[in-house]
Amino acid sequence: MNLANLLRHVSFKHVRLQKTQLAMAMAGICLGVAAMVAIDLANRSVLRSFEDSINHVTGRAALTITGTDAGFPEAMLERVQNVPGVEYAVPVIEATASLTGGRQRPLMILGIDVLQDHQIRDYSITDESADIPDPLLFLARRDSILLTKAMAAQEGIGIDEKIRVQTVAGLRTFQVRGLLNPSGPARVAGGDIAIMDVYAAQMAFGKEGRIDRIDVSLLPGETLDAVRERIRQVLPGGYSIDTPATRTKQVELLLGRFRKSMGFISCMALFVGMYLIYNTVSIAVVQRRKEIGILRALGAGRGDICRLFLAETLLVAAVASLVGAGLGYLFAGATVGLVAQNVTDMYLRTSVTELSVSWQAMLGNAAVGVLASLAAAALPALAGARITPASAIRSLPYAEESVLLGKKMRNAATFCLLAGLLILALFASAEPGSSVRSLGVILAAAIFLLLGISLCTPLLLRRIVPLCHGALAACFGAQGRLAGLNLQKNVSRNGVAVAAIVCSIALFVSSANAINSVRQSMFDWIDTIIRADILVSTGHPLATGGSPTIPMPPEMRQELAKVDGVKDVDVFRKTYLDYGGRKVLLEMFDVALRLSYCPAMITEGSREDMLLLSGRDNIAVNEGFAVKHRIKRGDTIMLPTPAGPAPFTVTAILVSYSADSGVISMDIDTYRRHWQDQLIDTYEVLVQPGRDIEAVRTAILARFSSERRLFALPAAEFKAEVQKVLDRSFVLTNAVNIITLVIAGLGIIITLLSSVLERTREIGILRGIGMQKNQVSAVVIIESALIGAAGGLLGIMSGVLIGWIELEGIFRLDFGESVVYHMHYGAMAWAMLLGVSPAALAGLYPARRAAATNIVEALTYE
Amino acid sequence: MSRLRMVRRLRSADGGWRICAWFMAAMILFGNTPAAQAMSGREVYEKVHEVRTKALDRQTEATMTLFDRGGGTRTRTLVEYSKKGEGETYKVLVVFQTPPDLKDVGFLVHARSFADRDLWAYFPEFKRIRRIPTTSQDDSFFGTDFSYDDFGGPPNLDDYRFTILREETVDGMACQVIEVEPKVRRKWSRYVAWVAKDLWVHIKIEYYQDKQLYRQGVFSDVRIIDDIPTPFKAMMENVKTGHRTGLTIEEIRYHTRFDDELFTQRSLERAGK
Repeated sequence: MNLANLLRHVSFKHVRLQKTQLAMAMAGICLGVAAMVAIDLANRSVLRSFEDSINHVTGRAALTITGTDAGFPEAMLERVQNVPGVEYAVPVIEATASLTGGRQRPLMILGIDVLQDHQIRDYSITDESADIPDPLLFLARRDSILLTKAMAAQEGIGIDEKIRVQTVAGLRTFQVRGLLNPSGPARVAGGDIAIMDVYAAQMAFGKEGRIDRIDVSLLPGETLDAVRERIRQVLPGGYSIDTPATRTKQVELLLGRFRKSMGFISCMALFVGMYLIYNTVSIAVVQRRKEIGILRALGAGRGDICRLFLAETLLVAAVASLVGAGLGYLFAGATVGLVAQNVTDMYLRTSVTELSVSWQAMLGNAAVGVLASLAAAALPALAGARITPASAIRSLPYAEESVLLGKKMRNAATFCLLAGLLILALFASAEPGSSVRSLGVILAAAIFLLLGISLCTPLLLRRIVPLCHGALAACFGAQGRLAGLNLQKNVSRNGVAVAAIVCSIALFVSSANAINSVRQSMFDWIDTIIRADILVSTGHPLATGGSPTIPMPPEMRQELAKVDGVKDVDVFRKTYLDYGGRKVLLEMFDVALRLSYCPAMITEGSREDMLLLSGRDNIAVNEGFAVKHRIKRGDTIMLPTPAGPAPFTVTAILVSYSADSGVISMDIDTYRRHWQDQLIDTYEVLVQPGRDIEAVRTAILARFSSERRLFALPAAEFKAEVQKVLDRSFVLTNAVNIITLVIAGLGIIITLLSSVLERTREIGILRGIGMQKNQVSAVVIIESALIGAAGGLLGIMSGVLIGWIELEGIFRLDFGESVVYHMHYGAMAWAMLLGVSPAALAGLYPARRAAATNIVEALTYE
Repeated sequence: MSRLRMVRRLRSADGGWRICAWFMAAMILFGNTPAAQAMSGREVYEKVHEVRTKALDRQTEATMTLFDRGGGTRTRTLVEYSKKGEGETYKVLVVFQTPPDLKDVGFLVHARSFADRDLWAYFPEFKRIRRIPTTSQDDSFFGTDFSYDDFGGPPNLDDYRFTILREETVDGMACQVIEVEPKVRRKWSRYVAWVAKDLWVHIKIEYYQDKQLYRQGVFSDVRIIDDIPTPFKAMMENVKTGHRTGLTIEEIRYHTRFDDELFTQRSLERAGK
């Protein structure tokens, strides 16, 4: 029998008859794919924005040479310029600053050698790339600065106007000598960039004699590797000589955990969507079993029937997935700003101005939607193919034939649960840092467990629902009893709806628990490390990239100590260095002073071991770093310093959640000795006992108001800010959770609708013997709420388990074992409410249809 | 045409030449020069080259005016010193005098040959001498519409191909119109120059990037100083940006024979003092 003919003559008829159910199934897949596409596009756009920024900033450079964030001596430039094969080597300084007027807009400062830089970057201050009335004046004066036309227009700044900018040396006045067109570097950071001559930037940002980067182009015919090797030979060890692509890769690695967790939740949305397809095809098999029998009697083989259902699914899923891809594009447009904000809050400053649309990726996600739908439809399609013509014509209840309650399914459920538990056991017993302790492994365990629980759902329902009849009757009377009986009657199909709810609630609870764990652990840690009363910095102390943290000179420590009410002043400096191909956070403070007022969270070692850091070449590392690089206490590791790699001994392993990629702590004096960098990012002020913190804070601000714009945040306010940022970072997770709940709700509607249709005659009889419309409605709504309650309960239990898995696989791998699992009981109560309420709401439409059943038509319904 | 009449006419002519030639003109005013038509493009440029080489010993005081697209102007004054050395070697020092923001900003050229030279700039506020890569020779001379090459001395003729296109009269002066194509990579793909017959100075010049005109100059008020034709006015325009730069000689002395000490980096730091 021809598949096309079957589709045309058989399937399209059902499309016309079951428009509502079909539309809902399609909506489920559509939303699942939309969530995947949206998250993928948003992530991709953020990464693309970084890539673009790097490309715009590096221009035609084939290689970029960097040391640490603190820069390196500019004498290295001449060494590189003299390397055979190097065409141009130009110095670059990158710094952050902020305008002091208006919205105190943060901006990136790019210091370049204006006389040579056009050899590398696609712009010149004297051609049409910019509007600079007097380039010589720009070069000759150290107060010269160029702004982008976009920023100048938004801030109302014109050429020759003076602007006040926060720099390392304090507030400084610069004169806008020209405006840049939106091309080349002027497109970086969404146009929030200013260009200065490199030597002027050195003076303004406290980097005299130092540069941050050398951009190198090669002579024609030279190979990248050969020139890189030659450059390596003339520089001390510890310098990174990368291609721009490597820098993009480093950003990708830096954002790894964020992307992993976003990918995880978007996969779960599709996973829930698969239940919907499974349910829809199962219902179609039940409703069309007579037709299947007739087709089989007319000569259609089992393969034909299976192919028919799969072909129908393919068509429906293809349309839904394509629409989902389009919807995902719209979602991405709406959420990309939020994703960028999260990345800015937690990692690096980014500004995404446009979506980076990859049609291949969108079609890829749509294809995943189609494949997932086909996989979900395979089981019911096979079940439909197994229906014998005789049983179909005798109209035996589907439930009795259902594979979901069969022995094979029990075995499959047992297998999945055991496999999940086994993988978990393997994961838990594996050595930290081994390949078994990876996100892939833990994700496999989660999927096996969720599948196992889902497959068990009909079996559990069959055992539990009969036990509840009494209670249901007691609570809701006859309607309750009827609802319970209906649930039991269609236990396999209802089981699928329950499984969908289980998944969505599990996802909700697991996210809530994982988030709560991270939040609580983070708070405990911050409570431990933030013991100072006031944090003083030039940007927000919490900012990693959102607002600029322009370092301050070391002399400020003495000045702060003189402020009335100040007991002592601790220092904090942070920078990133390359270790094992990753950017690792290097944190420095006055170890002896810090330990005198602040208990360190040490997981290996003691306070005395920490004191060994003072002034010596010793370091402490965080758990995540120790695990990733298999470092133990007492080990010596080589760190890249401006003078070359230097050995440092690890005296303690600490708890630190400052960076995903690893944290190294060092005494400030040790750092200064090796890195020749005296600047400070944050001063942590201890107030004399009994003095009013707010008064001291005001005194600090007043003391420095004429010199620089400072943030002086009381510790409590700082902690509140941490909470805000954390909450903001989980908004997207919650949004996807809501989408999965909607998908699960659609599943309930489909299940109940088909249940109502199947019971048309039964409902007619009930109405005929005197049951009121509202009572019929109540039966359907109670049934729906029961599905929700069962899903909610199982979902909460599963969620607790999956939450722990999520914590293990996403957070503990990066931050270490110290992240404690904190269950969020409030969220679990909400989950129950979310399970029951949407389910009851989902029952409203089928209930209306049931209540509207015409008694006479229903009694004659076959 | 008598020599006197020719000079008068030149003074009134609205002609000019490229800024290098303007600094380095030579007097070649013979009553019966060979017919220019009989010369090849290369031969015409050998004459131009000769004039420019003769003008390499001088001190010039000039005013430079920058005109932006919106009609705004910025004026600066400068002193240029140059000295011819052995063979093709020569040295040039340019020091800005005003405005105060630019006082003592300097520019130094050491040419080992017409094809090989070093360029440095000095900015007093940074107390730093900065090298300008030789590949920047076609870039803007400190933001003006002239290039470093325009201030750099005579070119190496072997690096170019010359083709005579036609003859034309510009502001009453008979000119050879010559197309010049570089054999090496330059910012421009060719230029077309109007060379005044018998004077061997540029009256007009147009630079092209592929087929597009991007920079053009007009040289006028040509006077004969110490037998060297010297355009006292030059105007260069960047066609793409609409930005123009005018240069007017206030005073010029040839055959100055400066000491080599004037052209050192130390002298650059001290503004030639």
